[in-house]
Amino acid sequence: MKSSSPLARIMAIRGMPMTLVLILTVVIFQVLNPVFLDGKTVGNYITNGIPIMLITLGVAIVIIGGGIDLSVGTVAGLSAGTTMFTLVQGAPLVAGIAVGCGTGLLFGLINGFLVAYMRINDFIVTLATLNIAAGLLVVLSQVQPLQGVSVPGFAELTKGDLFGIPTSFFIAGALFVIAQIMLAKTIIGRRLYAVGISSQASNVAGVSVPHLRLFTFAASGLLAGVAGVLLASRLGAVQAFLGIGYEFIAIAGAVIGGISLAGGGGSVWAAFVGGLFLATLQQGLRLNNVDPVYFSIVTALAIVFGVVFERQVRRVILRAALHRTALFSTDQPRATEDESVVASSEGSNNNDK
Amino acid sequence: MTDRAETPSAQSLVLEARGVTKHYEGVTALDHATLAVGPGEVHALLGGNGAGKSTLISIISGVTKPDSGKILLGGEVMPASGPLAAISAGISTIYQELSLVPALSVLDNIFLGREIKRKTLGLPLTSDRRSMELAVRDLAADFGVTANELHTPVSEFGALKKRSIEIVKALAFDPKVLILDEPTSGLEDAERQVLFGYMRSMRERGVSLVWVTHHLEELFGLADKATVFKDGRTVATVATESTSIDKLITLMFGADREEFGGGDTRKIAHLQPSSERPVILRARNLTRGSVVRDISLDVHEGEIVGLAGLAGAGRTEVVRTLMGLDALTSGSVELNGRRLSLRNSTAAYRAGLAMLPEDRKQLGILADLSTAQNISISRLSTVTAAGFWMSRRKELALAESYRGQLGIKTPDVNARIGNLSGGNQQKAIVARCLNTSPKLLIFDEPTQGIDVSAKVEVHALVRDYAANGGAAILIASEIEELLELSHRVLVLKKGQIVGEVRNIPAAIEAGEFARIKSEVLTLSAAGQAS
Repeated sequence: MKSSSPLARIMAIRGMPMTLVLILTVVIFQVLNPVFLDGKTVGNYITNGIPIMLITLGVAIVIIGGGIDLSVGTVAGLSAGTTMFTLVQGAPLVAGIAVGCGTGLLFGLINGFLVAYMRINDFIVTLATLNIAAGLLVVLSQVQPLQGVSVPGFAELTKGDLFGIPTSFFIAGALFVIAQIMLAKTIIGRRLYAVGISSQASNVAGVSVPHLRLFTFAASGLLAGVAGVLLASRLGAVQAFLGIGYEFIAIAGAVIGGISLAGGGGSVWAAFVGGLFLATLQQGLRLNNVDPVYFSIVTALAIVFGVVFERQVRRVILRAALHRTALFSTDQPRATEDESVVASSEGSNNNDK
Repeated sequence: MTDRAETPSAQSLVLEARGVTKHYEGVTALDHATLAVGPGEVHALLGGNGAGKSTLISIISGVTKPDSGKILLGGEVMPASGPLAAISAGISTIYQELSLVPALSVLDNIFLGREIKRKTLGLPLTSDRRSMELAVRDLAADFGVTANELHTPVSEFGALKKRSIEIVKALAFDPKVLILDEPTSGLEDAERQVLFGYMRSMRERGVSLVWVTHHLEELFGLADKATVFKDGRTVATVATESTSIDKLITLMFGADREEFGGGDTRKIAHLQPSSERPVILRARNLTRGSVVRDISLDVHEGEIVGLAGLAGAGRTEVVRTLMGLDALTSGSVELNGRRLSLRNSTAAYRAGLAMLPEDRKQLGILADLSTAQNISISRLSTVTAAGFWMSRRKELALAESYRGQLGIKTPDVNARIGNLSGGNQQKAIVARCLNTSPKLLIFDEPTQGIDVSAKVEVHALVRDYAANGGAAILIASEIEELLELSHRVLVLKKGQIVGEVRNIPAAIEAGEFARIKSEVLTLSAAGQAS
């Protein structure tokens, strides 16, 4: 009963049409400006995009579980701030990283606790923590300028490289792989999809919905924390308003990749492609000297286009696949419409006798 | 019965479907289905779940596009251009799930999207409620909706009145054909009679009715013709006056006819009184606010305890507290002598309880997961390696073994469970429960919304489970079903136990079915808590 064409089968996977768009976008930008695929440029823009991609991954996990996390952007900003603050105090690198990741995790746990156990709407909870994190970063930046750190190894988190590949690639790569394994291969992943499809039915089936909710927000918070550490490393200075608006790009990236906001559907690959597409788009615009004033407009248009495209392609491919299945699965060759009426009414006569 | 002479010639048909075929993700829902409805005819659509009735009406009403085939209205091919076009062409549909907006008034619901406009400043901006009211007042009165009620929000009415409103809404636009999908679902007996009266008066108005129903006994004296579907094909069209329930069932289920009602599947163990056998579940003084009050019950090994009661008596509420889905105010539960803490459903499953919930679509299946994944979800440790890593191989083997054991009909256990018929979905949920090796299994309305042959199979599953020593609690609104399956019935009213009927299998064996039935019904309606 599976569709027969390998192409159709591949395209039916969530996120695949967007992968195509991503490749197409890269080709177009490359034609417009051959510097685009230059090794160093690529490394640079992906490094720049990695924090957002990690945030996208976190949001995607929450969305797959049927929730939403709006706080990721400013939590990443605050995590960058706390990392910097710790390092400015002269603490060792490990402490700075731990504080940054811990900040994200703490916010994730607070979000998760309020949503899962206090049963407050996740939109409201994370809207509140979004503003709390943003406010705390402003306070922190007034206590102390968050810059001028020369702890050995810190800048190298994003600027260094191993065998010519930027360090942050390994960090992000590892996190994406872990997330992929978690979603596709473990009990937690399976339960996560179940809860995203229907938290009520999952609860009746004995799945502990609150524990999973808590887990998704904690994961999202932790990833925002890691993103914050990488942001701080790359920027070298943390401004008071860092991270504001990132949640929009992250949610958009997830949706563009083909993750359903209704929950229960989506993959790590979808989050990866969606995030990478937005990073690619911005880089392409920058290289082609488009005024940054227009970035947000173009990005927003691309999001709408991407979602429509993804859906249409899936629909067309699925329909074609079904048509083919239908052709091959009926016992008798397809008759013309008039013939078929006769055929089936004769059939009913036979049955009746 | 499909004598060519008997069917009206193509010209005089109001509605006709020719060679309609529809596939969903590889499942053939309709296979060259046909239908011919004459003017002013009440035409019943019959068939088991998954026979294709729903798909056909959704195609006729323009919601679904067929893969091939065509719909003719008054002899002309209807373009497949959506539900609105179908309505304006003269095909209205009343769905099983009511499609009224609760917060809007009856009048606004009737004219939703088709308001009569009044010109304000030369623009048709405001709706003219007076003309709208005038337009439907008489019609509404004919179907029991008073002029006052036209201005009342729909949310204030019960099931029958809502049906009436839907009928008025449909008739307000002079349909040639009105499709009724299970219109009696959710209606009490007396209300059904009122609805049937309305259906007759619609026929007198010259509207052709296409009527989807599972209740064969309702057809006689009302439907003119019935078209039977099986596996997406049109089996036959018969005149109801020259047929019988038996004949219709044979048409609907064909070869499956033997297992349907073919002998009593009851096991010998069922006849033995189970009070001497060990107690599995001992619940004492369960209370949850005013919905569950002071319920105490024991369930023995191999025993099915039925909970009877009218809607709102608190049957589902009792089992939900047992499963930890709703918190108890007070009371205690012991399973095999061990005190349970009913914090949540996870703890309940871990302790050895399992539940097949009412409302399969909302609470039972996880529609987007596969059948295999739906079976394993309650105890994933049975399909993992090292207790944490999902094993596709084990999951598939588990699903295949239950597919064989319970007779789940699906071409592929890896396909989305949402595409299966109701009966097969229900069997998968039974498999899910059995996979947790429960000490006590709760069946809440196990045959709700599934067809007759699947019903018989689910009954057999429940009996087998108890015959093999399992303990069960059963809730079923259909009293015959409850009595035929239970050893003992507790009658609930207003959240309390108002009576108990024991030794039911023996009583039925002695031919006292009618007596215990009336005893249970009397208790349900007028019982007093001691």
